Amino acid sequence: MSAYVAFAQSAFQTQLAYRNEVWANLFGKLVQVFARVAIWLAVYAGATSIGDVSLQQMVTYALLGGVITGAIRYELIISTIGNALKTGDVAVWLLKPVSFPLYVIVSELGRALFRLVFLVVPTVTVVALVYGMLPPASLFDGVMFVAYLLLGYAITCLMSALFGLLAFWLLTSFSLEWLMQAILNLLSGSLIPFWFFPQPFGVIAEHLPFAWIVYYPAAVWLGRLDPAQSLLYFGIGLLWAGLLALGVAALWRLASTRVVVQGG
Amino acid sequence: MTALIEARGVSKRFRQHKRFPGLLGALKTLVTAEYAEVAAVSDVSFDIAAGEAVGYLGPNGAGKSTMIKMMTGILVPSAGSISVLGRTPHEQRMANARQIGVVFGQRSQLWWDLPVIDSFTLHQRIYDIPEARYADNLKRFSELLDLTPFLDRAVRQLSLGQRMRAEIVMSLLHDPKILFLDEPTIGLDVVAKDAVRKFLAEINRERGVTIILTTHDLQDIETICPRLIMVDQSRMIFDGELRNLRAALGSSRRLMLEFLTDPGPLELKTAKLTSDEGLRKHYLLDREDVSLVHVLGEIGSDRGLKDIALEEPGIEEVIRTFYQGRNAALAAT
Repeated sequence: MSAYVAFAQSAFQTQLAYRNEVWANLFGKLVQVFARVAIWLAVYAGATSIGDVSLQQMVTYALLGGVITGAIRYELIISTIGNALKTGDVAVWLLKPVSFPLYVIVSELGRALFRLVFLVVPTVTVVALVYGMLPPASLFDGVMFVAYLLLGYAITCLMSALFGLLAFWLLTSFSLEWLMQAILNLLSGSLIPFWFFPQPFGVIAEHLPFAWIVYYPAAVWLGRLDPAQSLLYFGIGLLWAGLLALGVAALWRLASTRVVVQGG
Repeated sequence: MTALIEARGVSKRFRQHKRFPGLLGALKTLVTAEYAEVAAVSDVSFDIAAGEAVGYLGPNGAGKSTMIKMMTGILVPSAGSISVLGRTPHEQRMANARQIGVVFGQRSQLWWDLPVIDSFTLHQRIYDIPEARYADNLKRFSELLDLTPFLDRAVRQLSLGQRMRAEIVMSLLHDPKILFLDEPTIGLDVVAKDAVRKFLAEINRERGVTIILTTHDLQDIETICPRLIMVDQSRMIFDGELRNLRAALGSSRRLMLEFLTDPGPLELKTAKLTSDEGLRKHYLLDREDVSLVHVLGEIGSDRGLKDIALEEPGIEEVIRTFYQGRNAALAAT
């Protein structure tokens, strides 16, 4: 266990070595979050609410989406696994008494923590000061938001590892990165919240595991789920995370035997 | 004494998707499922006892790395069995990993972006090495291989020789019982090669770490390994001490005879004349049972023999002659 904590720590520290990259990313992120908010300002076009969603809620939703998707770069998980396969470095990992997918995931979590603290929170604060941001609907919703956020990160990482491991059979991780990005843009709710989806697509999207990445954390913050629902959907999310973890374990076992039997 | 490593009739075949040349061939490759089988290791058996240092020698593509990968558990043999420390490596890969150290000359196990010392502390956490033992090992090995000047530098800034020394130290931090090295001296300069060889020989002698290393370089084997296993075209062709290799491969000694006056072409039954410079004649002694005494006896004392020189072929030459003979035989078939 202590090894995985060490992996996360060292990934966090490695980020410090690339200070220029940090500043460049900070600027890029700022533009991105401004753009998200600007889109919703344009959509509302002077109206204070569409349906039961106010403009202020929508701006908050966009900012929260920025917090959540800004920290984790899931494509790095996919490309790390893909590259290890392509270069044969995966053989080195088979020599160590640790799990390779778990190593890749905790390393990305270490970097995500760094980005959250040094990139995401500062940019979102700046934008929030300009456009205003609603606080959590209640203390319970605030606490649940943190729980949902962590669950969402776990699901993102597990799902990326699953996609990355597919590279063992498809031998290309780049197309998998694009595929995952396309799916997440639509089905995580990061571009458009599900309440603006036409039915029955909205209901379907609400039950796919991608929904726990952006939609549920943001919806809980805004108080759109009552406490019972909030706990229920958290449980369903945990189930999804468990299933994904099993999938990653199974796929890694298959993938490593494939290397072992046929040669990297 | 029981063997630490047992290989019994080990073979490894790789399946390669057959490709057809040309544009039409490329289309054909897409739809066919024809495979060619390539034998990387064929019927190799050996025992290695605790504390031995064994050199695994052979030309490119002889199946050296494949054998190392099977012993470390990252490849499964197609036939035969391997036992390392009483386990089947690929079935108990994690347990095996804790007791072996592995160094790949062409693949780094250090973390590219981190200072060397950070890679070492990560290694400590991965293998749960107790603090005191870790500090002790790190101090000793770093001194022996002179790592201290660059412990704080990022791995990507190191020279190949520095990186290789760091790789070797890391592979030993968890006190492995066996150390596998796949071409550890490849690409190193003379000084670095020498440092690595002396270090490995010392680790083997003083700590009793069993060493198995593959190499192209005979010096590695002469310095580190009393025992040599030689492979060629996937098969084992020699297993024994280095000094017995010449006899095993049937290489000839060279004999030079110098005369006071030219005795003319002098054909001998015990040696084969290869070149005749008049006063100096060169022969090959290709039979092991013929000694210098026999040759001198055949020449007799009335030929005006002035001087003789018998030359043992260097081990490099023995091997070169062997490969050349093999290639010639291949060309003839």
